[in-house]
Amino acid sequence: MSEMKQIKNLKEFSTSADRFEGASLLCPGCAHSIIVREVLNATNDDLILSASTGCLEVCTAVYPYTSWDASWIHIGFENGSTAVAGAETMYKVLKKKGRLKQPDRNPKFVSFAGDGASYDIGFQWISGCMERGHNMMHIVLDNEVYANTGGQRSSSTPIGSSATTSPQGRVSYGEKRNKKDMVAIMAAHGIPYAAQVSPNKWRDMVKKIQHGFAVEGPVFINAVSPCTTEWKFDPKDTMHLADLATDTLVFPLYEIIDGHELNITYRPKNVIPVEEYLAAQGRFKHLFKDEYKYLIKEWQDRVDEKWAHLQRREEARI
Amino acid sequence: MAFDKMELKDVEVWDGNYAAAQALRQAQVDVVAAYPITPSTPIVEGYAKFTADGYVEGEFVMVESEHAAMSACIGAAAAGGRVATATSSQGYALMVETLYQASGMRLPIVLNVVNRALAAPLNVNGDHSDMYLGRDSGWIQLDAFSPQEAYDLNLIAFKVCEDHEIRLPCMVHQDGFMTSHTAQGVNTLSDDAAYGFVGEYKPMNDMLDFEHPVTHGVQTEEDWHFEHKARQHNDLMTKVIPKIQAAFNDFEKLSGRKYNIVERYDMDDADVCVVCMGTSVETAREVALEMRAKGIKAGVVGLRVIRPFPFFEIAEALRGVKSIAVLDRSSPNGAAGMLFNEIAGALYNADTKALLSGYIYGLGGRDLTKKHLVDLFNELQANADAGKVTTKLQQFIGVRGPKLAYL
Amino acid sequence: MAKKGWDEFEIGAMLRTFDGKIDDIAGTRQEDRAYSQNSSYTASVSDWRLIKPVFNKDYCIDCQFCWVYCPDVSIISRDKKLVGVDMDHCKGCGICVEVCPTNPKSLLMFPEQAEEETVIANWPKKDEEEA
Repeated sequence: MSEMKQIKNLKEFSTSADRFEGASLLCPGCAHSIIVREVLNATNDDLILSASTGCLEVCTAVYPYTSWDASWIHIGFENGSTAVAGAETMYKVLKKKGRLKQPDRNPKFVSFAGDGASYDIGFQWISGCMERGHNMMHIVLDNEVYANTGGQRSSSTPIGSSATTSPQGRVSYGEKRNKKDMVAIMAAHGIPYAAQVSPNKWRDMVKKIQHGFAVEGPVFINAVSPCTTEWKFDPKDTMHLADLATDTLVFPLYEIIDGHELNITYRPKNVIPVEEYLAAQGRFKHLFKDEYKYLIKEWQDRVDEKWAHLQRREEARI
Repeated sequence: MAFDKMELKDVEVWDGNYAAAQALRQAQVDVVAAYPITPSTPIVEGYAKFTADGYVEGEFVMVESEHAAMSACIGAAAAGGRVATATSSQGYALMVETLYQASGMRLPIVLNVVNRALAAPLNVNGDHSDMYLGRDSGWIQLDAFSPQEAYDLNLIAFKVCEDHEIRLPCMVHQDGFMTSHTAQGVNTLSDDAAYGFVGEYKPMNDMLDFEHPVTHGVQTEEDWHFEHKARQHNDLMTKVIPKIQAAFNDFEKLSGRKYNIVERYDMDDADVCVVCMGTSVETAREVALEMRAKGIKAGVVGLRVIRPFPFFEIAEALRGVKSIAVLDRSSPNGAAGMLFNEIAGALYNADTKALLSGYIYGLGGRDLTKKHLVDLFNELQANADAGKVTTKLQQFIGVRGPKLAYL
Repeated sequence: MAKKGWDEFEIGAMLRTFDGKIDDIAGTRQEDRAYSQNSSYTASVSDWRLIKPVFNKDYCIDCQFCWVYCPDVSIISRDKKLVGVDMDHCKGCGICVEVCPTNPKSLLMFPEQAEEETVIANWPKKDEEEA
């Protein structure tokens, strides 16, 4: 085993030599690449990466350019996780057979995918990877929408959000379903580590990624990725939105070890009302009409209930 | 090496599935990722058991769908090692998206396709619907007519597709049940001889070479896509058949068994002939001999290589024949049969006056009997005597109900 | 990159990030890496930008918030010090300015055409209200 990279503080983190390059085609202010950088910079070990079809994939490997400094593969929308699982299996075999070209390395296997590619079309593939115990990490870049195809709802899209296939209109407030709890579903596979992260909390992110790299077996990470284009906010405000996401507890930060030991990893000193999170985004603008204000109240209640639920689980160690 | 060799008898009694599994073992495949489907399942079960018994040092990954099976095979192949799997029918159909990705990324993977019909209605038996579904997917497609050939062609497939001048995935087809589950005598190679023939896997553009990172599976739009597809097509059109021929030659030296791009049986002086694939070739060969005893100069042509399509070899094989029947074992659903069309294309500008007629047969495992073939050869002779096709161009063999004939 | 014919590139649309061998990527700085012409590092998105960040080192405390939150690997930090902005890869999103905690900020957005020397000479003073 290689030694874990020591990152005591942000200054020390900033000595990392990035393995993700600029001039990708991601939108200005996109959180995807902020998350990718924090993940990749959490280790100095070699990396074998994949991306499922989506914003990250189509913007970082458009021929004749690649933004990746580590080996990277994309197959399709649903199977980026399985691509990495295949590579990880081959690694095990070649190691066993003594055929690795650089046998002293300790590569980390990571698949990135959006919420559409993870919650929806790639759900079965990810479940398979988690169940089979591959030594890999799947990271969802969760922007709660099919951003790459122009803003259709996914099963991660939250209630009241206006997406192109669940639009708000004269008689509709937009998406009617609550987002599915992917972290809980993946943790229920009994995997050694599942966690929710946010790019604004870089230290929490790095700690969790390093934990994920250190354990043997499959790891699932859900990363909130504020989307300037589809959430409809100014590109400069990406980190502000991430702050609102974590500090309103809309995206609580926690981890689940071995499928049962839940730890809350961030408790905001001042919890911000959910209304401020909703108000900062164009996708929820219509909720502030008089007839839909009850939904804001329901939002707050739902977030409070989830937070209470997490705290109860943490206390009960289940 | 941390695995044991197997002592094989010179001739073993194997069905096509077990013959293919033995070939995967002897090729020392590194990773098999698979999902079960009748009738191909015993191939991957065989590899799993060889792994469990320590006769091969690889990893068997039982995934959750055929799509995931090929996805994992792609990841494993891109990582840099020998990869194989097997499937049939609906599983093959589910895999189709990834078939194009495997070939477009130029990853050598051997896929055993145990041919089976496609639903609806559901059917587990052999026809060539799945084989036809993949014909534009950019894979090499080899066709075995018997368990012996399933064994031999698997070894040949690795040698061809992993060659750095080729780097294209390869399917080895055999007929569901008729080949896959019918035990016959199979002449074996020793483990050392077989592995020596296939050779060590030589990685290329491998993701696990940490000193040379690679990006696989890029996006190319209108400014690049056409060139990449053209490159792949060019390599299929110009490089693959010579490489297969070279592998056939090497294999003949090793085993004494001779394969040809297009197999010809009793074709030297044939007036009439049947062109077909799979187990039907063997039935047709037997009937052709019987027709010769009755004075009809009958021959049989079998396609050993389906893709790339042996355009010139097939025209050469059919030179001088007066009347040809092309047998398609897949419903064309609104067209002439694929094989009929391919052969018509190959003959159109060739120096031939041959009469061409097409037959749809054997769907869902329906038997092609010797009686069917006797009638067929007689019909071909009648065409030859009349100097024209005396029937419709497309007929059906062995289906109940009013006679079907089109075109 | 010049458009090539179908016979002029590697099979499988495969791209290599580096020319030749690289031994320890995570231990090698960008300026010491032999990027191939296929690495997006060699490309520029500067024409995406309408406004640009200008860095004023006089106020910088090297907290590295701008470095960690830059989506485009465009904040250049070396030896824990902020060195400058990579103007080939900066898309002008303005996140670096938003996350800058100093007063006045050590990064501010200006029109693309603004002269760096001029804007630094006229840098805003400490904002008492914000402090």
